[in-house]
Amino acid sequence: MAVVLFLSVFLIAACGLIYELIAGTLASYLLGDSVLQFSTVIGSYLFAMGIGSWLSRFLDKALVARFITIELMVGLLGGFSSTILFLAFTYTHAFQFLLYGMVIAIGILVGLEIPLLMRILRERFNFKELVANVLTFDYLGALGASLLFPLILVPKLGLVRSAILFGLINAGVALWSTFLFKAHLPSPMVQRAAAIAVVLILCGGLATADYITDTADAALYSDEVIFAKTTPYQRMVVTKWKQDYRLYLNSHLQFSSRDEYRYHESLVHPGLASVAGARHALVLGGGDGLAVREMLKYPGLQTITMVDLDPEMTRQFSTHPLLVELNSGSLKTSKLKIINADAFPWLEKDNSMFDFVVVDFPDPNNYSLGKLYTTAFYRLLRHHVAQNGVVVVQSTSPMFARQSFWCINETMKQAGFKTYPFHVYVPSFGEWGYVLGAQVDWKPPTSLPAGLKFLTPANVASLFEFPPDLAPVAVEANRLNDQTLVRYYEHEWREIVR
Amino acid sequence: MKPTRREFGASALVGLAAKADRKISGGFVYESQERGHRLRDKARFASPTERVKIPVVIVGGGVAGLSAAWRLQKRGFHDFVILEMEDAAGGNARSGENNVSAYPWAAHYLPVPDVKEVLVRELCQELGLLLPDGTWNERWLCHSPQERLFLHGRWQEGIEPSIGLTKNDVAQYRQFEEHIAEWHASGAFRIPMDYGLDQAAAKARALDQITMGEWMRREGLYSPYLKWFIDYSTRDDYGTHMEDISAWAGLHYFAARAPEDKGPLTWPDGNGWIVKRLLAKLAPFVRTQSMVYRIQQQRKTWQIVTEKALYDADFVVFAAPTHFASWLVDPAPPRWPIDSAPWLTANLTLDRWPANHGVEYAWDNVIYNSPSLGYVVATHQNVAMHQDRTVWTYYWALADGSPTDQRRILLGGDWAWWKEKILTDLQRAHPDIRQCVSHIDIFRIGHAMPRPVPGAIFHPERLRRARPQGSLVYANCDLSALSLFEEAQSRGVSAADYVLRNISSTGTR
Repeated sequence: MAVVLFLSVFLIAACGLIYELIAGTLASYLLGDSVLQFSTVIGSYLFAMGIGSWLSRFLDKALVARFITIELMVGLLGGFSSTILFLAFTYTHAFQFLLYGMVIAIGILVGLEIPLLMRILRERFNFKELVANVLTFDYLGALGASLLFPLILVPKLGLVRSAILFGLINAGVALWSTFLFKAHLPSPMVQRAAAIAVVLILCGGLATADYITDTADAALYSDEVIFAKTTPYQRMVVTKWKQDYRLYLNSHLQFSSRDEYRYHESLVHPGLASVAGARHALVLGGGDGLAVREMLKYPGLQTITMVDLDPEMTRQFSTHPLLVELNSGSLKTSKLKIINADAFPWLEKDNSMFDFVVVDFPDPNNYSLGKLYTTAFYRLLRHHVAQNGVVVVQSTSPMFARQSFWCINETMKQAGFKTYPFHVYVPSFGEWGYVLGAQVDWKPPTSLPAGLKFLTPANVASLFEFPPDLAPVAVEANRLNDQTLVRYYEHEWREIVR
Repeated sequence: MKPTRREFGASALVGLAAKADRKISGGFVYESQERGHRLRDKARFASPTERVKIPVVIVGGGVAGLSAAWRLQKRGFHDFVILEMEDAAGGNARSGENNVSAYPWAAHYLPVPDVKEVLVRELCQELGLLLPDGTWNERWLCHSPQERLFLHGRWQEGIEPSIGLTKNDVAQYRQFEEHIAEWHASGAFRIPMDYGLDQAAAKARALDQITMGEWMRREGLYSPYLKWFIDYSTRDDYGTHMEDISAWAGLHYFAARAPEDKGPLTWPDGNGWIVKRLLAKLAPFVRTQSMVYRIQQQRKTWQIVTEKALYDADFVVFAAPTHFASWLVDPAPPRWPIDSAPWLTANLTLDRWPANHGVEYAWDNVIYNSPSLGYVVATHQNVAMHQDRTVWTYYWALADGSPTDQRRILLGGDWAWWKEKILTDLQRAHPDIRQCVSHIDIFRIGHAMPRPVPGAIFHPERLRRARPQGSLVYANCDLSALSLFEEAQSRGVSAADYVLRNISSTGTR
């Protein structure tokens, strides 16, 4: 009997913490700024629990019936908390109002639970034992919930279903109490019926959870932010629209999950497949791990070195469930060495050689970035490339920024590379360009790894053909002391935006 | 860059206290005025404890002295010492370094030389600046963007004013440029300047009789923007206003150069970078903390006296500022006729960059109508994309009124007073500067560089002293009345060549 009672304490404590975590997580996902969201949610929740504990003094009669009612209310409110909040974010402007309303309402109800339960159990145990046991199980429940939540619930069930599941547990405790405390209930059948009704409603919610999230998502995420982080280096934003995830760095689109395979297959395979026996690869930039994902299709590759400036970027793409799904966990491979450093000074200091190098920097829209596209940079890079090695540089759009594209080509040429420019249509970007640089004469590969979605041995050579509207134009190379590229780029994109 | 969340949070929390100044540390560096003035006042110095016989003594380890030594060594002559008063050689090309960056204390760049500047090119080849294929090493050419100007409340690219110019202003600029092109073609203005003087026609000579301001008026150039630009340039290169400077010197600045590439050459530590590389070869010859207090002519030799040693030498290369000679050399030469300009330089350590909108931070950042010359970002030549801290080298030529009065002001203000002057000046363009600066070191240079006022260039005493003769030859760049690396190098090398020619012919070795 005692064990069963304390198990109830354990369960309701776990439920209480789960609702709090759900509210905090949802607020962080939807509003960004997780520190602020978690702090305010936890603060208001604990405060509301205090209110609940204080209010418990005004409940004098029919304690068991009241306890069951409260459990059912927590089950309903908590169980549907994430559903309500998702829908509120999508369809109303009152998300924050509702968020804190819900947090406070659930907090008050949860705050009532333990004092009431202790008073109910008062007659069965001596006070010392009661306090010790109730609080022990209370805290144990909290531990269980806090481990379960990030490791299993969020990745496996999602926020909507997790909340409903724990609503069901609250309702279950209520139902079970109608049996446990039968003696204290004047008409246990009424409470039992109510409890069963709540369980049914929640089960209905569980069944339609997917439908609810989809409906909410569809409207909610039409380019809504689901992840945002400001690091000392940049502002990272991930948006979702249906199944399309997009990463923006400082408001510039980096990829769309719908078509990034076109971009990344082209960035990696024409170059890497052409280097027979490539063993060591280098990625400059590319902290999203998508280029690495493609490189891992070459079992012969022994090491991949990634130099990305922003530790937060590589950390998020190694750990955030959503982002890890996008790169298939590529940043966790043991072949990969991540170095969070500025690429140019790193190349000046390091003296490793590579068979294949991907240079995937943001577009050269300012002079600091422009340094990474200069003859000085490419000359330095050439010293790190093996004799039969190949470099591929993302080179902005030959359509929208034709001079910029050919400027990168010219710059690499002046730095001593034999250049082989190519281009690909990536729907979310438009026509996109790359320059492949080799130390010796180069030919496109005749075989590619299996399972590519875009490139085939038959079409890879065609990427190197340029129609007249993308054909080369006369440009000056980009040099550290005369950054023509930044001026071309600024001029060309300004034309487009207007 | 947008503030990070932490910064944002912090500024919200301390919102009320944000106006309060943060504590800025710092002080004066290289305070050697006292020592210099003891020389002037013929104070008593300790007697040397050692006597050294050596054929050649070079007095002064700045660029002129080091260049003389560079030449001697390259010609296979090693019997010389360089006597340097300070703890380290380098003179106006000295530099410092802290945990953020290296930085210059005065001279901070070298214009890309043209094909005729043989000596500078020889040095550049040696230092890997001029590559075997005839191109210039991009790494040390000044990176884009080179210059910007804070004008009418915002930054513009380049330091020639371009915001708010009338058609007339633009026309005057063109007119000025035409004059410059004409003078450049005349060949009267060359680097080193001596090459041009030989061909100087009367027309060029006449320029030394008037000020740059007067020349502007005679040519009908009165655009306020153009005048500011010219005045800025003469203050920047000569520490002297255009109304005080010889028109010959003013025009030399614009008309002498035809750089082969977009420059200049520059380094975090400024010309200290060159000095360090020269010293890599010459350090064994340098005697630091060796202030010369007497140079006495004997029958056939010279006695050069420091508090440590007395040197008996056949030849003296006097590469220290020439005006010192009147206090040191016995028999004393005539008074040196060219005055010098007082300067202040400061190195500011910033632990974050002031907020910036529009035009990006450049290497040289100038504030229109400021009494200062603006600041150079010492970390500009760093190739890292992201730099959260930086050092700025701030320049101020004290050019208003007489140099004597200005020197009194320079030495009269204490560190806190100068710190306040500097921050108040920078605040016009960077309202949040006081929240960004953590440390300011200030260098007060009473006699920073020669002031080429009218008459200085063709002054008979200057021309006489600039021509090597006897066994004490002068080598400081002030012989040219132009404070330029190229002049210092050329004077030093000429002095060395003269010594090499004569030392063997007189057979004193």
